[in-house]
Amino acid sequence: MTTDLFTISVLVSPLLFVVIAILSWFIRGLRPHNLIRVSRISSYLAIIVALISVVIVYQFGLLESQSYDFNNLGFSIRLDSLSVLIFSMINLISFIVMRFSFNYMDGDNRQGVFIGRLAATIASVQLLVLAGNLGMLWIAWVLTSISLHRLLLFYSGRRRSKLAARKKFIAARLSDLFLLGAIVLLYNHFGTGNLQEIFSGLKSSPNALDPSIEIAAALIALAAILKSALFPTHAWLVEVMETPTPVSALLHAGLLNAGPFLVARMSFVMMESTSAPILLIVFGGFTAIFGSIAYMTQSSVKTALGYSSISHMGFSLLLCGFGIYAAAMLHLVAHSFYKAHAFLSSGSFIDVKKASKISLPKRTANPIVLIISIILAFTIFSGLAYLWGVNPIEELSLLVISCIIVMGLSLLIGTAFDSSAGRKLISRVVAMATLVALAFFSLETLMGTILKSQIPAISQPSTAVTILLFFWLIIFGGLVLIQIFAPMLKNKDIWQRWSIHFRNGLYANVLFDRLVGALYVKTSKEESDLIKRYD
Amino acid sequence: MSNSINTSEIIFTNEKMAQALHTAAKKIAPLWPLENFVAVNPYLGLSGHSFESIARQLSFQAGIQTTMPRDYYLKAIQENKLLLEDIEIVLAKNKTIEYDDAPSFIRDLKSKDFEKVKTPKVNTVAEVARKISSANWPDFMLDCISSWASSYFDQAQSQWKKDKHQLSLFSAWKIEAETNRSPSLMGLKGFHQLITELPDNPTEAAKIAIDSLGLDEEALPIYLHSLLLRVGGWSSYIAHFDWDSNRYGREEELVSEFLSILVCWEYGIFNALKNPVLESQWKIAKEEMIKKGFSEGSNSAISDLLILQEAYDLSAQRKLTGKFKVKVQSNQENIKCKVQAVFCIDVRSEVYRRNLESVAPEFETLGFAGFFGFPINFVKVGHDDGYDQCPALIPSGYKVLEKIDDQNQNEKVILRRKLNRAFSFAWKSFKSSAITSFGFVSPVGLSLLPKLFTDSFGITRPVPHPQHNGLSKKEIENLSVDIESRQNGGQITGIPLADRVNMAKGALQAMSLTNNFARMIMIVGHGSTSVNNPHASGLDCGACAGQSGEANAKVASVILNDKEVRRQLAIDNIFIPDTTYFLACLHDTTTDEVSLFNTDLVPDSHQEDLENIKQRIRQAGKSARAERVLRMSMEGDGDIDSFVRSRSNDWSQIRPEWGLAGCSSFVVAPRTITRGLNLEGRSFLHSYNWKDDKGFAVLEAIMTAPMIVTSWINLQYYASTVDNKHFGSGNKTLHNVTSGVGVLEGFAGDLRSGLPMQSIYDGVNYQHEPLRLSVVINAPKEAMIQMLEKHDSVRELCDNRWIFLMAMNDEGEVTDIYDGELKWKKLNVEEGIFERNEKLIEELV
Repeated sequence: MTTDLFTISVLVSPLLFVVIAILSWFIRGLRPHNLIRVSRISSYLAIIVALISVVIVYQFGLLESQSYDFNNLGFSIRLDSLSVLIFSMINLISFIVMRFSFNYMDGDNRQGVFIGRLAATIASVQLLVLAGNLGMLWIAWVLTSISLHRLLLFYSGRRRSKLAARKKFIAARLSDLFLLGAIVLLYNHFGTGNLQEIFSGLKSSPNALDPSIEIAAALIALAAILKSALFPTHAWLVEVMETPTPVSALLHAGLLNAGPFLVARMSFVMMESTSAPILLIVFGGFTAIFGSIAYMTQSSVKTALGYSSISHMGFSLLLCGFGIYAAAMLHLVAHSFYKAHAFLSSGSFIDVKKASKISLPKRTANPIVLIISIILAFTIFSGLAYLWGVNPIEELSLLVISCIIVMGLSLLIGTAFDSSAGRKLISRVVAMATLVALAFFSLETLMGTILKSQIPAISQPSTAVTILLFFWLIIFGGLVLIQIFAPMLKNKDIWQRWSIHFRNGLYANVLFDRLVGALYVKTSKEESDLIKRYD
Repeated sequence: MSNSINTSEIIFTNEKMAQALHTAAKKIAPLWPLENFVAVNPYLGLSGHSFESIARQLSFQAGIQTTMPRDYYLKAIQENKLLLEDIEIVLAKNKTIEYDDAPSFIRDLKSKDFEKVKTPKVNTVAEVARKISSANWPDFMLDCISSWASSYFDQAQSQWKKDKHQLSLFSAWKIEAETNRSPSLMGLKGFHQLITELPDNPTEAAKIAIDSLGLDEEALPIYLHSLLLRVGGWSSYIAHFDWDSNRYGREEELVSEFLSILVCWEYGIFNALKNPVLESQWKIAKEEMIKKGFSEGSNSAISDLLILQEAYDLSAQRKLTGKFKVKVQSNQENIKCKVQAVFCIDVRSEVYRRNLESVAPEFETLGFAGFFGFPINFVKVGHDDGYDQCPALIPSGYKVLEKIDDQNQNEKVILRRKLNRAFSFAWKSFKSSAITSFGFVSPVGLSLLPKLFTDSFGITRPVPHPQHNGLSKKEIENLSVDIESRQNGGQITGIPLADRVNMAKGALQAMSLTNNFARMIMIVGHGSTSVNNPHASGLDCGACAGQSGEANAKVASVILNDKEVRRQLAIDNIFIPDTTYFLACLHDTTTDEVSLFNTDLVPDSHQEDLENIKQRIRQAGKSARAERVLRMSMEGDGDIDSFVRSRSNDWSQIRPEWGLAGCSSFVVAPRTITRGLNLEGRSFLHSYNWKDDKGFAVLEAIMTAPMIVTSWINLQYYASTVDNKHFGSGNKTLHNVTSGVGVLEGFAGDLRSGLPMQSIYDGVNYQHEPLRLSVVINAPKEAMIQMLEKHDSVRELCDNRWIFLMAMNDEGEVTDIYDGELKWKKLNVEEGIFERNEKLIEELV
């Protein structure tokens, strides 16, 4: 009974934000001091609630609240390591984003509305991660995108703002439908919406392959793909800087995670399917490549960050597809903090540029040096792996992520080696590379331990998955090699032409634009500016 | 009957085309990148015409507004900032409009439709196409051009691009247009094909395009200028390259090349969408361009607004000149001046100077352009190249390196900075290259969680301070300037002795400081403090081209303390006593703190003076902050000092300070005349004593340099206020830094120029009132007329009412206002003023 009370008390956090959203109906305007005061206190309290929930889960493990449902479909809170992990992350980021908005939006004659909508969005994400029942999960899923929609249209008169919101609306509704389909199938099969009962149902009859579970898993995968703006539905995400910076930060660090979170939440279902992982691997892998290449061709800070987010979402879902959920969640959480900071500090770009008036050592692009650096990166990594006692080769899926780390370190070391900068730079880079590898092993282990009970253990992947795994690895590796040799290629004509195609997002966006009649969207007068116009 | 245009009649030669492109290009004012955001008069290429005619022209061609909306002025009447009497004066002057009195004018005003002002009458092909199909081709074209231009001019963001500017503007664009499939996919069938077939030479391509569009000689200039105004941001950015080429004597014209690109786009749209309706509508559009010329002044809405604006200017001038009538008792009389402090003419200095003088009667302050007459290119320690630190009007003369006096230490710092740079480059490649970024995020991303919190609470900066990066606190304090003239790795750095003497002499004369030197003379440059602010350099010293004035102050004081320089100055009858010491300082306009540099070099004999200065600047800072904070929305009555300081290191702060918002007058006079007057931080103050100015060389210098620069700043604020959409940078919360040079408002659209809305507007009121600069000079009227006769460009500004020139007599009263055609008109502040009729005003507004 006491634990039940604990569990329910976590609801304080979303409730506080709901209260802010309601208050904002009455304190809509300029410099809403009282609303700001309430929001400030609430975001502190939310962090405390998150801390408490961490302690509770550490103490008691999985906790479920009493269920308020109709035929087992309805509302319950589920506290486990996965939900608490993401819940804490959301609350930390909400704190930062809220705090940022107090001064940033100062002087806007609808600051109250802004804070209210921000709070509503935060509350819906919190409810999503706390959901213990499919019914609540779906409702929160829909709510996140509806509340986000209202934030995207904060300056609702702006033509490009409407356009982005319209594209997002289409992707989000499709995603809602897919998830609804999956939920109907699961509910039909198990006769309950309770997640725990579904999971234990699956565990007790692991090999009872059922087409409805197969389809449900595929639908979940598609819902996640749409929610996280994977190629080719990514267009809206790179356009949402039509709304103030804190929204971008919250979106990229919070809401976008809903896709990978859903897949991890339903990982026991996903595991029973053969098609769902393949969907994730194909879409995720391609988007990871597409996004990270397109990122390099963008000239505007926020737009580039948008492409970067797409690629990281793709990568997270790719890892989910390979069945390495712990690595996927580590990536997700790390990416959130990284991206929140990147957006909020995007105004510092000029400072960075000013500091770079120092010439770089000449690049030599000497193949031998580059090969040495790849070998060095590999040595550092495998040496540490040996010391740490892990064997990436044995755990095939872990091999993927390990290879990627080695690739990254090769580029880091390669850039330093391939220059006339001297020994000091090299030793510093090697030290950093070692630190990065160490951080990776410890965090990976930590995340695996934390999430152990909530995700399936890494298992032998199917043949199809294994083939795909090697396919992507070869492509990834090839791309990294090309980049190491890029200084020699960059003035080639064909190279330039491809950069134009990638800068235009391989035209997926143009087609989406045509689909939604982008040319016919008009600027309108209402709420397009931060000031009350005189006439 | 065919609607197609008979092109054989209107064929331009290539020379004529080039000339037409050049003429249009010259009308575009330059825009500097954000790292040295210099204030520029956005009407720069147009100031040869009257303010009123340009207002009409801009509205006609691009829907640009040059006045505030009607209701703004009505509110000003209510607040007594705009007097009915002044409206009547303007009405009386204006012969084309017949109103008996101000009330009937205002009553009539309220019945008119003012939306027209924002709709351009000139339509481009893209706009004609939009009218026909309601498809937004103009914005599509703008987005494509903007996206390409950001990539072409990108200096910092994207990693996948060619080496800097390998291809000319036009050839690079042509490759883009031939490759990019977006236009075709969006419905401009065969667009890339059409462009491929055009010649590679920009002028020839433009010629073919114009022939195809069938523009004649009369419409062409209007059309070309209008096209540039459609992409005003990028045009201006490109114009700054032309400006700089010009400044350093190179021949280059990129704007006309860019204009060729715009013309080719129009050609592409026209031919891709070609249909009879488009052709006939385009024919009508071309006729409109010349038929409804702006000269006729038929748009009565604009005329009315211009009347209101002029009256608004008049009322503000009354208030300003009224201030000078009041004689203020100076607290300085009979006190011997112990410290002289030279500040920048910047309006923010006025507040600090007044507060300093009021707490310290023994201080005398002077105003002078904040580069102190030393046009340097300043290279930070370890950097390869530097920034020009002088007004954008003149070329920088000397490369000066920053250094740490201890040679060993200096080399260590350079090595450390180079290493940091190389490391951060490698780290950045790891972090942001394709695929490897995944390897970065997983292990490193979590480290940003604590940083989110420390940045949020202002404990750390989001990125290291560009100036202090890699330096310890001690090293920062020991930074000085290296003016020794020498050959330094292929380039000449430092300033030769003869030039030092010349510059010192020029500077002292120009600031009217050639005798009566105090024991301590502070040379106070200024800079600002803000974090995460793309427009930060716009808050720094404008006279130093958007940099902090620290380096110039250091150079000035090193040279003026130099014994050899002083000896040679004495030959020219400038005797600086041995007991005089020049001290370099920096006024932080955000926090009103003044830092003193290299104080360890101050001789023992001056230690007492130094202590006194330290104490005085603390007191002055406190009271200046208390005054400035009134303009900030400070909640409750907390600690002002910490409130101000926390704003300066808050990464979410969009108004760290108000910059030059409010600037509306430029007073050139000895400080004795203005000391004690509260000019509310709205006046640029230049010290000038005409009696010491033989041959009026200094007056000439003031009227051709600081007066131009102050009008640039004033008109930048003016334009950003009256039309933020075209000449401002919009909403700061949507800013998206692009190419490392400017901002977009949101995802796409044109590069934005000018100031963000948040820098002029506080949410309730405009902190900048759009007023044209009133220049008040204490000098003989004939001397000023001589200068106008001599300098056409200055005369243009005054004759065409871009600035108002006023004469002040030796008693400090403003007596005359320049009335055009080299004539003065007597001024009388009280003339024609009646008692305010509250009832009438209430009825009217």
